[in-house]
Amino acid sequence: MTHPTNSPQTPDIRRQALTVARRDLVSEARSGEVMFVVAPFAAIALLLIPIGIGTDVPLLRRIGPGLYWAIVLLFGILVTLRQSADDGGPQRDRLALLGADPVAVLAGRSAAAAVLLIAVEVVLLPVMLALYDVSLPGWPWLFFLIPMVGAALAMLGTIVSAVTGPGASRAALVPLLVAPLAVPILLAATQSLEGLRLGESILTWLLLLAVGNLILAVTGVLAARPLQEALR
Amino acid sequence: MTRNRLLEIGALAGISAALVTALSVPPEQTQGDLARMLFVHVPSIWLAYLSFTVTLVASAAYLRTKSLRWDRVAGSSAEIGVVFTAAALLSGMIWGKPTWGVWWTWDARLVLTAVLFFVYLGYLALRRSIEDPATRARRSALFGMLAIVQIPIVHFSVVWWRTLHQQASLVRPGGLQMDPPFVAAFGAALVAFTVVYAALLARRVDLARIEDDIEAALRRQDLPVAGAAVVAPELGGPHV
Repeated sequence: MTHPTNSPQTPDIRRQALTVARRDLVSEARSGEVMFVVAPFAAIALLLIPIGIGTDVPLLRRIGPGLYWAIVLLFGILVTLRQSADDGGPQRDRLALLGADPVAVLAGRSAAAAVLLIAVEVVLLPVMLALYDVSLPGWPWLFFLIPMVGAALAMLGTIVSAVTGPGASRAALVPLLVAPLAVPILLAATQSLEGLRLGESILTWLLLLAVGNLILAVTGVLAARPLQEALR
Repeated sequence: MTRNRLLEIGALAGISAALVTALSVPPEQTQGDLARMLFVHVPSIWLAYLSFTVTLVASAAYLRTKSLRWDRVAGSSAEIGVVFTAAALLSGMIWGKPTWGVWWTWDARLVLTAVLFFVYLGYLALRRSIEDPATRARRSALFGMLAIVQIPIVHFSVVWWRTLHQQASLVRPGGLQMDPPFVAAFGAALVAFTVVYAALLARRVDLARIEDDIEAALRRQDLPVAGAAVVAPELGGPHV
């Protein structure tokens, strides 16, 4: 199937992606699904876990970083499943008729999901630090770590959401497909935060995250067009 | 004699020969008879790798040719791969209990193999969730190509991380490190399992084709007959 070629009036791919991302974020700002439902729910999970496993502070201090990322992963899936990310058929058709590049649409969606995931990570981090009494001597590294994990999870979630497509089974399928594929991201994130807690270098793990981001970005670019065709 | 029948006879003969060879090998120096688990455990994970690689190749072939035949091969191979990944996990647990003292340990190879199992279980769930054959084929082909990334990670996990699991038996630095009788029995098991795979795949692809034909026939039944919208003219205007 051929796509409409970009006419001089059609904005370039970067502007298309920014428009899609802005639309997703405006839609999310109106509904407040992520910041007022998902993030508080995740914070409650951080609060409930010690009640389940025992409120032993040294133990919590040790497992806190791992629990934090496990919660970010599991609740991050809800971010990619949010209502505002679920396009209806007419929306998709209109985007296609407008000549929107599928790569731009996927990139825009991923960017919006990344912004929301980073926001969730930022909200949850002080909750974890306070509840589990974790101190991070290498905290400036978080300025690299948090966006990289957010971007990787957002890209993975957006690609898998596009693969499953709309439908009743999406809510069940996306977590099943994303969770195992996110294991390398979870591993790198957990080991990085553990390294920061112990004051060690986390460059290797950041490199792994960078490679993961690159692989996901290339996959997204290659899969965007076939995925758009599959939805028709 | 049909191709399927020939493959099934070959699989039966291969398994019988592998069983005889595996039982005729003398007990291993440290693990005794337990070491015979090698002849089930390693071929199982080998078949899982093979199945998922065939899924990858068939998925790419589908995206290129748009022939549903390739999609049937991809789906059927993934099903067999999931079964053999489960077999590898179970045989590993059975082997692990007497040697390591536990059924399960948080070892990179074990965890990543379990992850591989769940990734392809997800692939099969994805296939079942989409009714339209072309849409199912395209989406699952894309996922099938993405999921293959797991295989090198699983295989080289024993090299990349310090693990309790032994080093790879086949593809490893320094080559095979087994005595000749073990190599012979191991080779026989690998060949036998591969023929079993071929027999299962051929049969499953045929079944998938029959399933597709039935689905297509059912879909045709649901469609209105051509010209059904045209009704005979009646006096008194149309019914409302």
